[in-house]
Amino acid sequence: MNTETNLGWANVIDRVRDWARQNSIWAVHFNSGSCNGCDIETLATLTPRYDVERFGIKLQGSPRHADVLLVTGPVTRQARERLIRTYEQMPEPKFVISIGSCSIAGGVFQDCYNCVGSVDQVVPVDVYVPGCPPRPEAIIDGIVQLLTELRGGKARQPKHVTAQEIPS
Amino acid sequence: MSIEERLSQAEKLLAPWNKETLHPESNRVDVVISGEDLRLAVAALQDAHWGYLSAITGMDLGVESGQLEALYHFCNGPAVTSLRVRLPRSNDISIASISDLIPPAALFERELHEMLGITITGAALSDRLFLPDDWPDDVYPMRANFTTDQAAPVQGRHADEAPEQGVVGGNTFVIPIGPQHPALKEPGHFEFTVDGEIVTAARMRLGYAHRGIEKAAESRNWYQNLYLFERVCGICSHTHSMAYCLGVEKLAQVEAPPRAQAIRELVAGLERVHSHLLWLGVAAHEAGFDTLFMYSWRDRETVMNLLEQVTGNRVNYSANLLGGVKCDITLEQAHAIKEGLNYLETRIRHYLEVVTTDAMFLSRTRNIGTITKEEAERFGLLGPTARASGLVRDVRVEAVYGSYKNFPVSAVTETNGDLEARCVVRLKELLVSCFAMRTILDNLPEGPLTARMPRKIPAGEAVARIEAPRGELFYFVKSNGGETPARVHVRTPSLCNWVSVLEKAVGRQLADVPMLLAGMDPCFSCNDRLVTVANNDQHETWSWSRLREYGIEYYKNR
Repeated sequence: MNTETNLGWANVIDRVRDWARQNSIWAVHFNSGSCNGCDIETLATLTPRYDVERFGIKLQGSPRHADVLLVTGPVTRQARERLIRTYEQMPEPKFVISIGSCSIAGGVFQDCYNCVGSVDQVVPVDVYVPGCPPRPEAIIDGIVQLLTELRGGKARQPKHVTAQEIPS
Repeated sequence: MSIEERLSQAEKLLAPWNKETLHPESNRVDVVISGEDLRLAVAALQDAHWGYLSAITGMDLGVESGQLEALYHFCNGPAVTSLRVRLPRSNDISIASISDLIPPAALFERELHEMLGITITGAALSDRLFLPDDWPDDVYPMRANFTTDQAAPVQGRHADEAPEQGVVGGNTFVIPIGPQHPALKEPGHFEFTVDGEIVTAARMRLGYAHRGIEKAAESRNWYQNLYLFERVCGICSHTHSMAYCLGVEKLAQVEAPPRAQAIRELVAGLERVHSHLLWLGVAAHEAGFDTLFMYSWRDRETVMNLLEQVTGNRVNYSANLLGGVKCDITLEQAHAIKEGLNYLETRIRHYLEVVTTDAMFLSRTRNIGTITKEEAERFGLLGPTARASGLVRDVRVEAVYGSYKNFPVSAVTETNGDLEARCVVRLKELLVSCFAMRTILDNLPEGPLTARMPRKIPAGEAVARIEAPRGELFYFVKSNGGETPARVHVRTPSLCNWVSVLEKAVGRQLADVPMLLAGMDPCFSCNDRLVTVANNDQHETWSWSRLREYGIEYYKNR
């Protein structure tokens, strides 16, 4: 096979992968000190009324099986390193959705002594879903935005994988 | 016995060590004792079966006063007696442990030590429970002179080091569970030592969701705190803000109008339905019964709709205001709620049948984690976990507050004390709540929704106790007469119920642990600034004043 056809095949396989990925997002949920409001709404998104499983989205117990990390909460100091470890255990390509006001900027817990402040200070975030807590519709919208980007080939773009060091 | 009789009985019991008697509230007597006499005084109350230890509040009275104070709150029905121990404000102060007399005190004492730096002598040494592992030694966040820069992470000390794992000897292993684990929906860390399949020891580490709310409350004003405390827990947010409101209203000597109180009870009832249905789903999920999980969460959406219709929000409803409530119930809403309740009652009856007859579910719940009434009393259990063992611990019945005097509920109890009984208690309790809500809707008092509250709250102390879905919620509110509280102490019911898991897991199979955890309905967590995300790398935070101006502009131009 010459190089051109090789490239052609690689392209086809990439597109098949993209297609498959868009239709089977597996997510792992990490609570980094949230008040439970967002966690409950995240879970409600998976149950019959909203039922995101019809888009192939499934909540997974292990980060090693997951494509998407759903993070809620203002990231407490005790949860910070566990969040980094969970993120690093996920296989490439991986995406992070930060759910709720506190995960975006600390929310009501701003300036609390035990909070780092936001998820994007610890791991790179792809989609932000604001709200305290966001409605399930908003969470679905966040996921749809991610899917739209995946359709545009986001998963094939190189991105840095290490968790950022938090500025102290 | 009336409140006065109970209080005078307590005073009599404590007379030998009494240095000073205070009457901060009508239903409360405080007895000042010295640290050496603490154990004797506690034993005296316990021997006479005078109530139970509800919470231990630690306070820093300020740098000038040079004093710390520890308050041991004992509750007996509506009567509260607090033992006040005053300590000098230095770094090497200690107080005797009472955890051998009262096991749940161990966790309260841990909090006292970590937050205020009071060494507990005679307590079993344990690692940090609330603060992160990289927190510096000798820095205590609840001290008055604490600043955030004192708490810089200690280099080289890892937050959350990998737990000891692997073979301890023979067939004995340590199995770490959490904070990220399929069997846990919330962050906590447990280490179970197992011999083969049997758990031989259990240990826990909290603090993954410790945000420092009590400290933050001291720098925010009375109204801002309402929204902060609502976010202690997103599941029982209404009871948190209601307890805070009741405490502050007591201090201001304002009573919410009858209509407001009835609406508060109504929202609390709806919240209980949502919380227990949520719990039923999670418990069923842990038992591997996902069908029940999906069904109960589907039905839970009915009550979420009702909450949204009444308050405008699905979670964190902000129905409460200091001095009243924000939302009224119109005739159409009352009608919609009644219809929703009709449907929910049918479904709850159905679930009651499922949890008592389904053979698969019963094999995971019947005779598992059984707690006798005596044990429940000794462990200091609260809420449905205690009531499943036949112990009547229900603040709505024992110490009637708010509109529960007009629209009373009865305490539901079971006698078996196993996981099945806890399912049954929670579901039957919902039927009681539904009945009460219907009565409220039929007899909603007329009148205003709010009473006028002063901006500055008069100096004083108040204890507010409320029955949250998981048990008694305890708020201690102290004001120095300013625009911000001097101290707010929160003791959530889950903290008291942990003992039921840690004690009962020992001797059981590891496979039962998720169900035991789910059985007590753990809740680990137990104003805003707007963020404009420009792109992934840059975001801009708006200050409160800018947000306010933006809001005014927006409505002007609309």
